[in-house]
Amino acid sequence: MHEWSLAEAVINSLIKFGEERGVASIEEVEVTYGEIMELEVSIFETAFEQLSKGTPLEGTKLVLKEEKAKFKCNACGAEWDFETVERILSDEFSVVEEPHGTRESPLHFLPQLAPALLKCPSCGSRDFDLTSGKGMRISKVVVKT
Amino acid sequence: MKDVPDVLFEEARRKLSRASKVVAVTAGKGGVGKSFVSICLALALAEKGKKVGLLDLDIHGSSIPLALNLAREVRAGKEGFEPVKKYGIEIMSIGLLTGDAPVLIKGGDKMDLITTLVALTNWRVLDFLIIDLPPGTGDEVIWTIRVIKDLGSAGALVVTTPSLLAHSVVRRNLELLSNEKINILGLVENMSYFICGKEKVWPFGPGSGDVLAREFDTRLLIQLPIEPNVEKAISEGFPPHHASKELKNAFSILAETIEDLMKG
Repeated sequence: MHEWSLAEAVINSLIKFGEERGVASIEEVEVTYGEIMELEVSIFETAFEQLSKGTPLEGTKLVLKEEKAKFKCNACGAEWDFETVERILSDEFSVVEEPHGTRESPLHFLPQLAPALLKCPSCGSRDFDLTSGKGMRISKVVVKT
Repeated sequence: MKDVPDVLFEEARRKLSRASKVVAVTAGKGGVGKSFVSICLALALAEKGKKVGLLDLDIHGSSIPLALNLAREVRAGKEGFEPVKKYGIEIMSIGLLTGDAPVLIKGGDKMDLITTLVALTNWRVLDFLIIDLPPGTGDEVIWTIRVIKDLGSAGALVVTTPSLLAHSVVRRNLELLSNEKINILGLVENMSYFICGKEKVWPFGPGSGDVLAREFDTRLLIQLPIEPNVEKAISEGFPPHHASKELKNAFSILAETIEDLMKG
């Protein structure tokens, strides 16, 4: 359900962006997000639509682009992807999602925590980098001046 | 796209602005009792009827969950992470999500982690948010300086001990805060004395926190006692500053002083 808070963050930032630059309207926004966030696209779209009602963002076209997650171990050089993560991710720590009480890994909320929650599948080291697919950013804005 | 806002950083700033007043608790040196001061100050303010949040940004050495006996479980709703509640304050800490696992995280990623954690935490409207920072002048401190600089009412509380070694390191911290034009609320000198019978004993001399404070045009707000019963209080389920009357009174005075300094 973090889709709602992320959608709200995008809307708040775009409202501020529009106000500061005096744009008449924002026609389209492209949001790039990391695969590791496991964003539910339909929930994000619904949240964006609902939360933008009555704001200058109402009616803005939303384009969501997923960026694949890639990991590289600094100790042994191994590289792996998100499918491997799903196999090796420990369920020792979890975030309880309301209202149904489902348990999610903190990794989906805070991808930067990967080295605390995972180990390299080849050598077991925690010294690895998440080289792509970890955050969320606005990658394109089409405005009407 | 250069002009496009950093969505999560903006959101983190918005979330912090839900607090009328933000106090960053910092120190140059480890082991001076920063987290202890952060926790007890937050609790003492809450005991005065204030709505208080406590944000633990000590990413590598988080101790607040342990010191407050918190369950290692975070709940999340539509509005993000719900802070954990204990003794009338709201708490968020990375330690709630990672337990005792070592947190290996580097520069840029650490900044992003803090940004995301703060952006996704659903604080109530607060009178005070206390931020517990790790020792030194690393990413966590820089991140906090960047954010609180633009907030209406924010300041830093610097924790030291009577040790000259601590002073030399704390001085660097004060230098940074002063240079970045952060409102330095004052110094707290921890572990200054202990009570023996009815006497105050100053094992390290009378302390020189006031000299250090004057050097940076600020003040020594309080000298705190060494209280051996703090861990016992924690293990028996009491707030740490309830370990003794002396300690409880000291934090009550500190809370009043902070309220006065940040009035208006």
